[in-house]
Amino acid sequence: MASRAALSVVVAILSSLFLLFVVVPVVGLVSSGGARGIAALASDAELRASLLLTVVTATIATVLGVLGATPVAYLLARRAFPGRAILAALMDLPLVIPHPVAGIALLLVLGRASPIGGALYAAGLRVASSPTGIVCAMLFVSAPLYVSAAREAFARVDARYEAVARTLGDDAWRAFRRVTLPLSARGLTAAAVVMWARAVSEFGAIVILTYNPKVVSVLSYDRFTSYGLSEALPVAAVLVLFAIVPLAALRALRAGAPASR
Amino acid sequence: MISLQHVDARAGNFRLADITFEVPQGSYGVVIGPAGAGKTTLLETIAGVVRSTSGRILLGGEDLTHAPPEARRLGIVYQHAYLFPHLNVRQNVEYGAANKAAADDVMQRFGVDALATRSVTDLSGGERQLVAIARALARRPEVLLLDEPFSALDPRTRTIARRLLRTVYYERRFTVLQVTHDFAEAGLLGDVAIMLDRGRIVQQGDPEEVFRRPASPYIADFLGAENVFAGVAKPIGHEPPDWVEGGEDELNQHAVAFTTGALTFYALGDVVPGPTHAVIRAEEVSLSAETSMSSVQNQFRGTIVEIVPAGALSRVTVDASGTPIVAAVTARSVRELGLANGAEVVAGFKATAVHLC
Repeated sequence: MASRAALSVVVAILSSLFLLFVVVPVVGLVSSGGARGIAALASDAELRASLLLTVVTATIATVLGVLGATPVAYLLARRAFPGRAILAALMDLPLVIPHPVAGIALLLVLGRASPIGGALYAAGLRVASSPTGIVCAMLFVSAPLYVSAAREAFARVDARYEAVARTLGDDAWRAFRRVTLPLSARGLTAAAVVMWARAVSEFGAIVILTYNPKVVSVLSYDRFTSYGLSEALPVAAVLVLFAIVPLAALRALRAGAPASR
Repeated sequence: MISLQHVDARAGNFRLADITFEVPQGSYGVVIGPAGAGKTTLLETIAGVVRSTSGRILLGGEDLTHAPPEARRLGIVYQHAYLFPHLNVRQNVEYGAANKAAADDVMQRFGVDALATRSVTDLSGGERQLVAIARALARRPEVLLLDEPFSALDPRTRTIARRLLRTVYYERRFTVLQVTHDFAEAGLLGDVAIMLDRGRIVQQGDPEEVFRRPASPYIADFLGAENVFAGVAKPIGHEPPDWVEGGEDELNQHAVAFTTGALTFYALGDVVPGPTHAVIRAEEVSLSAETSMSSVQNQFRGTIVEIVPAGALSRVTVDASGTPIVAAVTARSVRELGLANGAEVVAGFKATAVHLC
């Protein structure tokens, strides 16, 4: 009994230390720079532009990710096909490589010196050092999170709902639209929110591919290296406060009841 | 009509192999088998949800082997209703309905019209199953596939659901294939019984015939035959003995002596001499105080070791020279014969009641 009580105390101490480790820096950042950051939204045009750029590019990346990755997630969740395991591993790859490395890889493919980047540049689409580059970097690093969560969302919907819909006259696409999509909508939305939040917080890949124009994460780094901690604090605090919005949305989505048979 | 010809199918690691059977147009087929036999996979293969890897599937005489589920003009009802949880009762029934009138008609018949605006997540198990059947029927399918649709219902709701379905079935005469593990239900409902085990059909035919003449001791045991004996069969000459009665079929069979333990049964059949099994339904075994001079060729004196009341009938086990023989007798017979544990009785059954397999 005594050893069990001692173990409980140790677990409680470790858990408390962990929570403090996560919470204290964030609270410290917001308490130190939050008020100045909110005030800076009115006076700092570069911060406002950076924030707008971050929101717009993250949203575009998320929309592209949802459009492109949803079918992939569905295939991985529902179908058995040769190379499925390889495709799943490829989808996870961007999660495990360092993000600056991801930026270098993207630069190799989309930079002006590369065949693809050169062709796009010739066609009038500049990728590196442009908002398009930011979108590409965000898409690359955050879409795997969407694929993973969307795959889970589809897997939670029993395939027999679709089977019943098919016997009731729906073709595959119609059954997906009328049954699978509504039943997985909550999970897919949560997946998109996670992707968007990850895109907003991305730094490593973006800073390689597109330093300018600056998204908020790059701006906070730029202010830190150029002017020191004091100037970086308000920008960083705004980014943290901004991150609370998708987190709250995610919690609200996850509070919903699961589907029933 | 449902006709499968040498159909193979694979679902995950499970495989259906060489499935061949036919349920005539307007007939009621039942698929029986233990858990994991492939019953649901069979229905899903017919529905086109699981793709067949070889063979032909004909529905209503048309080869629909490669047709998608929506082109097969059938309905499927699973054990778990799989009602669409984002739609209410009416929306579920109308989902694939031939028209609104068809949906209204089945909702009324199955008594779910009063639940029309209710969320399906608020329904009881019985209500859910009735809505699921109504949803499948609203499409006016030519083939209805039922995957143990009544098994989770309480006895009263099960009786009601069965009766309602039978009424619509007799009116419309679509073809039904129902999965069940309850042979009493199969016998009650079916025109054709298909016994499935480990992805293969092990016996098919008239349910009564499957029940009375199981193709193997395993099937006999699964179907609830109380008396399954391992022993040795030996034909008795080529001419039927004088005790053989009945029609031409029986007269054309050989008399067989089947020895199990200390007992020898007389039976009819065309068996190869050697080890085999004998199956006798408990309902075919009669009990009496003394040996009779009737046409009952097999009579064995023994001691009652157990009496188990089961509804209107009691299962009475008689130990005859070390071999237990189970008889199903009415409660009235138990009283009149004064049957009790330890009492001596004669267990008797006709040679025609012994099925060798």
